[in-house]
Amino acid sequence: MTSRGTPSRFLQSVLQNGVGRYVCQLKRISIIFSKNAQSSLGVREFIEEGVVDYAKTNPGTVVYVSPNTSRIPKIVAEYLNGNVREEEVTSKSSKQILELINKLTNQSGLDVIRLRKPFHTDSPSIQGQWHPFTNRAPSIGPIRPLP
Amino acid sequence: MASGYIVNRGALTLGIHYRNVCRTNTFTQIREKKRWMKSYTYTMERKRKIEGTPPPKPRSQKPNWDYHAEVQAFTCRLHENFSLELLKTAFVNPCYIESEQKRRQDLGMDSETIALVLKGNIELRSQGSDFTSSFLNDWCRASFPRLHSDGVAAVVAHLTCSTVVCHVARNLGIEDLTMSAEFPIPDDVLQSTLMAVIGALLESSGAERAGFFLRDFLATQLIGKDLFDMWIVVNPMGLLMEELAQKNMSAPEPRLIRSAGASTVLPLYFVGLYSDKKLLAQGPGDTVIAAEEEAARVALRDLYGFTENRRPSDFSTMRRQQEPVQYVASN
Repeated sequence: MTSRGTPSRFLQSVLQNGVGRYVCQLKRISIIFSKNAQSSLGVREFIEEGVVDYAKTNPGTVVYVSPNTSRIPKIVAEYLNGNVREEEVTSKSSKQILELINKLTNQSGLDVIRLRKPFHTDSPSIQGQWHPFTNRAPSIGPIRPLP
Repeated sequence: MASGYIVNRGALTLGIHYRNVCRTNTFTQIREKKRWMKSYTYTMERKRKIEGTPPPKPRSQKPNWDYHAEVQAFTCRLHENFSLELLKTAFVNPCYIESEQKRRQDLGMDSETIALVLKGNIELRSQGSDFTSSFLNDWCRASFPRLHSDGVAAVVAHLTCSTVVCHVARNLGIEDLTMSAEFPIPDDVLQSTLMAVIGALLESSGAERAGFFLRDFLATQLIGKDLFDMWIVVNPMGLLMEELAQKNMSAPEPRLIRSAGASTVLPLYFVGLYSDKKLLAQGPGDTVIAAEEEAARVALRDLYGFTENRRPSDFSTMRRQQEPVQYVASN
């Protein structure tokens, strides 16, 4: 598909985050894993090693650890703007999971789609938009069709 | 639920073929192609189509929910020191208390054993909204010193209106924590909850922190807004004349300075406003009257210091106070 056909958005932040103070946008993360499945070995390791440290460094995020009978371990991240992201972590190592969780923590929760430009401004021009009279001396008179 | 159904169906199909086995064994696992599954899923789909999607459930009724932890995380996330009891009170709306009491009565329990020990947020709410309007008024006056008092009132009214406040509350995660009778939470309940949270912050950390909270989350909503989107001025020319009279300047004199395509479907006129033979402002329009009005608006924006290219408001004073300045002279 061409890039025009894919969904896109402008660069933006939730609630002008960072203008006043920075608010971590990840409000809740649930780690869903199986107690005995092979595929959630890495998740179990992560829960033993890293999850407490993560929760201590991010007091603004509530971490839920819930064992399940499902074979597919998942990480469900909920953001302040109401978006929910589910990531499957089947057969991932503890280190990979930590990287993934850190990535989810630093995201804003807005849709991860193509950005039209890597910069954005609400007022694109300080001088104002171009019109036929820009830089035209008033003494020249009105614009008319040529005789 | 689904697995139970599957087991039942399995037992049924087995029951047809091996009735004796089925009587002795209540649970038999069989591995085969589940031919009943197709009709079952179709039925469920049709049912969903007829009944519509189920109503949305509040987050607190879904799995993985710990209210205390959520409230604590809320305070940490915003870098504020709330007293947790006050904050929890702020989330309890009177409509929730009423509905909860009614629910308990309907369950047939006597009112003494199940007395609710919850306090509503009515006091905090009124405190918060009073503080919000007074703080935003002061803030607007400080950051736009030349703005007309009606304009200040309009800006404050825009910032405290239901749409802006609810937008802020939804993006701060207040919707999940709010206790309300209805779900989805109505806008007025959400608005009053945010006001109550501000009131709780005012009680627990003082006016300065509450002021920073308002400045960081409500006043930032002013970024990229035009003055006359918030303030409806019907007759900008009259207002401009009043303003100029106050400053002892002569009345504005509109002059058509530029025009193009007058006989086409897209005519363009530029009207300049002159006062004491000096150009105050010029504005475009597709009729002369519209251009004159636009020019008056441009002049007013200039007078009030609310132009698009004004210096941005400073939202960083708190950070500067926290970090000690460590500059060393370079030479």
